[in-house]
Amino acid sequence: MKPTNGPTESNNAASTFRRRKRMKAFARDRYLYLMLLPAIGFYATMKYLPLYGEMIAFKDFQIMKGIWDSPWVGFKHFRLLFANEDFYLILRNTLLLNLYSLVFAFPAPIALALLLNEVRSGWFKKTVQNLLYLPHFISWVVLGGIVVAILSPSTGVINFMLERWFGIEPIYFMASAEWWPVMFTLSGIWQSAGWGTILYLAAMAGIDPQLYEAAKIDGAGTARRMWHVTLPGIRSTIAILLILRIGQMMDIGFEHIYNLQNNAVLEVSEVISTYVYRIGLQGAQYSYTTALGLFQGVVGLILVLIVNRVIKAMGERGLW
Amino acid sequence: MVIRFGRAMLYLLLALIAFTTLFPFLNVLASSLSSSRAIVSGEVTIFPVEFNWDAYANLLRDGQLFRAMKNTAIITGVGVVLQITATTLAAYPLSKRRLQGRGIMLALILFTMLFGGGLIPLFLVLKALHTLDTYWAIWLPGLISTYNLFVMKTFFEELPIELEESASMDGAGDITVLLRVCLPVSKAIIAALSLFYAVGLWNTYSSALFFLTSSDKMPLVIMLYQMIQSPAETLLAVDSSDTGVVQPEALKAAAIIIAMLPILCVYPFVQRHFVKGMLIGSVKG
Repeated sequence: MKPTNGPTESNNAASTFRRRKRMKAFARDRYLYLMLLPAIGFYATMKYLPLYGEMIAFKDFQIMKGIWDSPWVGFKHFRLLFANEDFYLILRNTLLLNLYSLVFAFPAPIALALLLNEVRSGWFKKTVQNLLYLPHFISWVVLGGIVVAILSPSTGVINFMLERWFGIEPIYFMASAEWWPVMFTLSGIWQSAGWGTILYLAAMAGIDPQLYEAAKIDGAGTARRMWHVTLPGIRSTIAILLILRIGQMMDIGFEHIYNLQNNAVLEVSEVISTYVYRIGLQGAQYSYTTALGLFQGVVGLILVLIVNRVIKAMGERGLW
Repeated sequence: MVIRFGRAMLYLLLALIAFTTLFPFLNVLASSLSSSRAIVSGEVTIFPVEFNWDAYANLLRDGQLFRAMKNTAIITGVGVVLQITATTLAAYPLSKRRLQGRGIMLALILFTMLFGGGLIPLFLVLKALHTLDTYWAIWLPGLISTYNLFVMKTFFEELPIELEESASMDGAGDITVLLRVCLPVSKAIIAALSLFYAVGLWNTYSSALFFLTSSDKMPLVIMLYQMIQSPAETLLAVDSSDTGVVQPEALKAAAIIIAMLPILCVYPFVQRHFVKGMLIGSVKG
């Protein structure tokens, strides 16, 4: 580091002194700021510039005129949006599919982790874990392709097995409005339940073994030990992950849904992200879908803020 | 007796769950190696019936697949280098508490996790930067994962301070300290984050769908998606000279397996890094 000069021509005003000190800190850390340049460029152009672009939700965006020069139209696009039946359909689908995964997919890793935690044999546990983690690393294009293939009414193995063993006629799983949400939820469990156990297993590893000993002495069997020791031990992990999950209720991963979607089930499968792609990007209705995106973002932000309050009120460390 | 029975049930149940997870993969693998007749008549479960390589032979005869694989390799290879470099360069200064403006920068970065600009404004930005239909449209929006950035920042913060102090004492500047002192002890975290980035890029689908238009630039997953969606157009054109017609199902299955293969090959060797990376991020973050 450079040697610091004493404040020779010292000015008594504290603010000047502070400013000089800050300038000196900038000079001292100039290489650190240099390192930050790519990140600053990234966040400025890829994160904050699009926020500025959100302005077109209140304008009639014209490509030739650009964001700034396109004419203001106030809340026109929001009025169009809220008057459109599509909006209520995709909002319902977004919330409903999220609700299904909250009810069915959220508890899955907890149950799996409880089971895995009871396994004593190291190699067995490792092997099962590795197999369960696998789908998490595979693209939704591949997973979606597999789901569609095995559920196919004409060549899918599931329908063949149902027919051979139970005499059930082929079911059009992916083309039926009743079955599609079921398959969407199940495929979500398939992809993420295994990977989701990691955090719970880590929390379980942190539980004091003496608690288990004490429960054993009191005559508690495996099931009771799970209920009275393991579950309370991971309570705060569950709470935080649950609340984080609720914060994402407005969001459905585009890739998961888009790769399972087909025209026969748009009525139950079209959600905000796929609608923005279809109508906005493909249909070039930029302002209208930006208004929808802004609505989604604002509701999502409000949810996260509420959620953070709740976490703090429970006495846990908040998200920030 | 009861306890032993319960244990056996537990192991059986877990084995069953693991098998169910694996079953769809096995079925598709078996289909890709089975005869058309066996697929259509529903004889294929997890073992190939009337084993043959026709579907793979057909796919590999087509130059498209190699081009798509090469594209994916470029996207992944260059992308990981860019991402891990940008993430490391940002995480190191942000881990220094003495840095002026650190608090504001961290707050601004954190905010991007809570509220985003959405697809259309990002599209317009990429268009204005003339990056549409180039791989920059994939690399730039994903240059830094804020989550990974925080993982790495936390890791740097927890390095013993003496390590760097002794180096500074010897007159080493910040860049030297990062390269000579911090990076050598951060190999594990760099490996873990590189793997996360690499898997993300290998599987990258939506940004290619949104921002690429030329068919000769498309990555493997886009080609696969097109195959799965429109069998009539893409697949029936494939001529199979030696053994009659190969079913679209077999071709799709083979394409699915080829798209997964690289990940399946490295997965057993690298999966402990994934778990480690996940835990570093969550326990401290």
